[in-house]
Amino acid sequence: MNEKSPGNFEDELRRRLRPIDAPEGFAERLMAALPVEQKATVVKPLAARPSLRQFGLPAALAASLMVAVFLGVRVANDRALREEQIGIAASQQLMQALRVTSQKLDLAYEAVNNPPTAGEEENRS
Amino acid sequence: MNARVLICLAAVFLAGPVFAQSKGQLRLPEFATLADKASETVTVTLDANLLGMAARFLSNEDPEQAKAKKLVSSLTGIYVRHYTFDSDYAYPKGDIDGVRRQLSAPGWSRIVEARSKKENTNVDVFVLIDGEKAQGLAIIASEPREFTIVNIVGNIDLEQLHDLEGNFGVPALGIETGKKAPTEKTPTEKTK
Repeated sequence: MNEKSPGNFEDELRRRLRPIDAPEGFAERLMAALPVEQKATVVKPLAARPSLRQFGLPAALAASLMVAVFLGVRVANDRALREEQIGIAASQQLMQALRVTSQKLDLAYEAVNNPPTAGEEENRS
Repeated sequence: MNARVLICLAAVFLAGPVFAQSKGQLRLPEFATLADKASETVTVTLDANLLGMAARFLSNEDPEQAKAKKLVSSLTGIYVRHYTFDSDYAYPKGDIDGVRRQLSAPGWSRIVEARSKKENTNVDVFVLIDGEKAQGLAIIASEPREFTIVNIVGNIDLEQLHDLEGNFGVPALGIETGKKAPTEKTPTEKTK
């Protein structure tokens, strides 16, 4: 093993790292190797993505419209149902009223068509 | 000055409902206190709107309902107050007399007056004639344990009422319609 003294090591390192001049014509060869004209790459800016804010108003209007339609349909259904219930109850009342009317007309009929017998003290006209 | 204005306004507001009543419509008392006393109560208040709604739900398939539907098409109101009691004369006769007084107004004619001392039954049938048409019908029937007031308002077609004879137990009252009157029915036939 060769043991070098620190002084020799430094000398050797300095020798190896000494600046060396480029060979003659290196610069020309390097420039010739490079492309003549580099195309300028056009970096297109990313298209601005539509933000949620842009859709905010139309979305709110659409939602309001849907809610209004839904509520309108529901109110109409409720009204139709209520009218049906009232109508059915009214028709039942009507039939009952006609029955009561007929019963009382029946009383009048009895009075008109069954004249009192001689012994009865009835006054019918 | 202010008092006069208030009186005038009050008169207008109070008179409004009176003028709003249809021709032939009676002012029926509330009979509010009778509902508690009565064992059976029938209160029917059908104005023109309700009659229209009721007619929509009457079946054309059922002959009884079909005739009723035809009858009510020209009516503007049917009002019935019927009370049955467990004791005799539990109802105020004064209220009934008040209704009778309304029927003494011009236009109203009593076509049936039946008084039975034996059964203590009184039945009066009134018709309001306007021109040649009946615009109102009123029935007041009082018995010891029940009383009934019926008020039918509107263009009452006596021919249609005549057609109802035999339905609902409505008897033939000899209403002249130009048609041949139906033959008199036996009591069993008259019942529903």
